Amino acid sequence: MALGADRYASRADTLVFVGCVLLSGAAMSLPGRLRDPLARALRDTVLAPFLSLQQQIERLSASLARYDAVVAQRDSASLVATFLPELRGENARLRSLLGLGTRLGTGYVPAEVLREPEPTSPLTFIVSAGKKQGVKPLSAVVSPEGLVGIVSTVDQQTSLVVTWAHPEFRASAMAADGSVYGIVAPHGSEGPRVWLLELEGVAYRQLVPNGTLILTSGLGGVMPRGIPVGVVVGVAGEAEGWERTYLLRPAVHPAAVTHVMILSGTPSRGDLRSVFESSGEAP
Amino acid sequence: MRRSDKYRFYVILGVLVVLQFSARRWLGGDRVAPDFLLLALLIYTIRARPGPSAGAGFVVGLVRDALTPASFGAGALAHTLVAYLASWSKAVFFAENLFVNGCLFFAGTWCRNLAVAVASGKLKGGMLGWELLVWSPIQSLTTAVAGVLVLWLVGRRIAVRLSDA
Repeated sequence: MALGADRYASRADTLVFVGCVLLSGAAMSLPGRLRDPLARALRDTVLAPFLSLQQQIERLSASLARYDAVVAQRDSASLVATFLPELRGENARLRSLLGLGTRLGTGYVPAEVLREPEPTSPLTFIVSAGKKQGVKPLSAVVSPEGLVGIVSTVDQQTSLVVTWAHPEFRASAMAADGSVYGIVAPHGSEGPRVWLLELEGVAYRQLVPNGTLILTSGLGGVMPRGIPVGVVVGVAGEAEGWERTYLLRPAVHPAAVTHVMILSGTPSRGDLRSVFESSGEAP
Repeated sequence: MRRSDKYRFYVILGVLVVLQFSARRWLGGDRVAPDFLLLALLIYTIRARPGPSAGAGFVVGLVRDALTPASFGAGALAHTLVAYLASWSKAVFFAENLFVNGCLFFAGTWCRNLAVAVASGKLKGGMLGWELLVWSPIQSLTTAVAGVLVLWLVGRRIAVRLSDA
């Protein structure tokens, strides 16, 4: 249909327009008793199929929303089922931590590990206890299995813990029977023996058999005596025939720890060996 | 206009009416989603004379008023005015191209909302300001975009001439 002069409003067009406007005005001025039946009649006739379509669409939409909700619930249930063994493990760890707390009596601060999703998380992490809870720098951080690390920095509500895996970590250690003393340090962060500890400075003439439990010695007054550090798994090296270095399997892996206890006033606490032996968690 | 074009034209209008009652709920809230019914009316006015356009506007408005009886008649009046003016002004002022048609859809939607708001007398003060300055422009924009898409996709098939004025 061509556009042109014939599209200008003719008299008939104007009359139709005026008529429609007048009818609209009449509709606006209809009283309720006439207006409502008219509207209802339109809804029941002209609009009925469209309203029915709209209703079906609403139902379809609601069904889709319910389907999404059901799928979300199913996914949540699957997720919970996936984490169930982990939850059980955490529950066991918390129970053992409570047992350790009972045996320690007083002089400890429980704390949660606040992890960051970074690769270096096992080297240092933040715990949810600080000055307000009585945490002091250089306090030993333990779990029911043994030594986790040492407090490096203390804030008001949190503390920074340097774990045994940190390259600068050192602790004075001894064999469980007290026959051998040395310094425990991380073995390194590369190669197949990563995440192992090593016991350095052991006299060449002193042999330490595999499976020997290594504890903190308490020498130096920083760590209390008797906290499990690890178990000897082999010889790492010898130095000029006057000392040996032994590899240790750590008692605790820092990445697996979720809750810890920070020992306070530990140097005067004495030997903690019995506390950890009672827990039955020592390696 | 060929007979096949005429059928296509009314099929497209029918599809728009169906979209109004089906797909609209997925295209945003009631106040921002495109008004396919008004779009169908405005597309009709592109080809129709002002008189039939006014009649169609009255019918569409009255049908819509049945869904909102509180402002019964206001929609009929608003759609009549918009349809008549759109048809008349297109013949007098506007060239036939996509952008101009988009502007017509935008202006038509906004003017319809203005006329309904004023004629019904239900919106006053801040509510009227929000409606006319915030919600109506958004709805006008979405309607214009939908209209441009429709014309771009099927404009030539329904003998709506674009860019040849």
